[in-house]
Amino acid sequence: MQCVAEVPLLKQLNAKYGKDVVFVGISVDTNLDRLDKFIKDKGISWPQVGDGKEFSGAVPKLYRPNGTPTLYVVDAAGKIAARLNSAEKIEETVQPLLSQP
Amino acid sequence: MVQRLFFASVFVGALLGTGQSARAQTPSPDAAAAAAAVAEIRQTIDSAWKEVQAFDKAGGKPGAPDHPALKWHATLWTYREQHPGTEAAARATADAIRLLVRGQFWDQAHARTEAVGADEAAWERLSAAIYEEGSTRKDFEYVIATLSKIAAATKSPTITSAVMLDIARAQRRQGDVAAATKSFEASRSAAPDSASGQEADRVLYEINYLSVGLPAPTFSTKGRNGKTVDLASFRGRPVVLVFWSTT
Repeated sequence: MQCVAEVPLLKQLNAKYGKDVVFVGISVDTNLDRLDKFIKDKGISWPQVGDGKEFSGAVPKLYRPNGTPTLYVVDAAGKIAARLNSAEKIEETVQPLLSQP
Repeated sequence: MVQRLFFASVFVGALLGTGQSARAQTPSPDAAAAAAAVAEIRQTIDSAWKEVQAFDKAGGKPGAPDHPALKWHATLWTYREQHPGTEAAARATADAIRLLVRGQFWDQAHARTEAVGADEAAWERLSAAIYEEGSTRKDFEYVIATLSKIAAATKSPTITSAVMLDIARAQRRQGDVAAATKSFEASRSAAPDSASGQEADRVLYEINYLSVGLPAPTFSTKGRNGKTVDLASFRGRPVVLVFWSTT
């Protein structure tokens, strides 16, 4: 699945869960003008990070994804809850984390 | 979609390993001929995979007697036999078997695999095809047995690295993280700068620092809109980190 194809789903999920769940995009784009234009044109409202350094960027270096899309779900305590390769599994992964006290 | 071109880079690595030192000196007619042969076989291989993709798309079934993998495999195998020991033959060999695996012609794939010597460069690419079979059949016994034999017999560090990487992946899929970790380490130490060695290093990092239950690595950095994004500041709420690209 292409990352850009998942943007509408991410928008939906952000609208539905955005109050309780923080979405953060980390782009591995090298062309930052293109990235900023894309964010603006698509109305992506959740925080976006990207330094134009592809997989050597500051945050990708910490998580070392082997391609995109790669997603990490972090629980409320700051621990890794899941690694996913598609936005389609976000909802089922996040829901049990929300019902925790 | 951004794919790190692991399989492609394995092959490029193999090319650089043998071809480039020759090219760095005066380009000999032999080196030029070898490069032309590689370019030619790559075209043949491209055609083969295009036809297989079209066959799949048209609803063709694995194992079908008219599966294009059979025909292309035969072409590539003939090339291997006519040009033994060449770089192009290594590529033809690996893709002949990859095609059989894709078509799920297991017995033929196994018979061909038996014929590939432990020091043949084809293993750098073939190893992943053997793993692919295990992945398709959800049975990794054959993968581990076959690749372990090669690991024990080969004198080439890059082949050791490649086969240990796929043994490790198979062990990880079997749920044996301890064995997998050892094999990933063996892959990395055999040839740290090869594509396989670097992939092993990446997966070891994933196991050691990014497994479920471990603290997520924190970062604080300026976002595209100028506001600071500080992972620790979101404590108390789940966070979804989406690594993505517009391309």
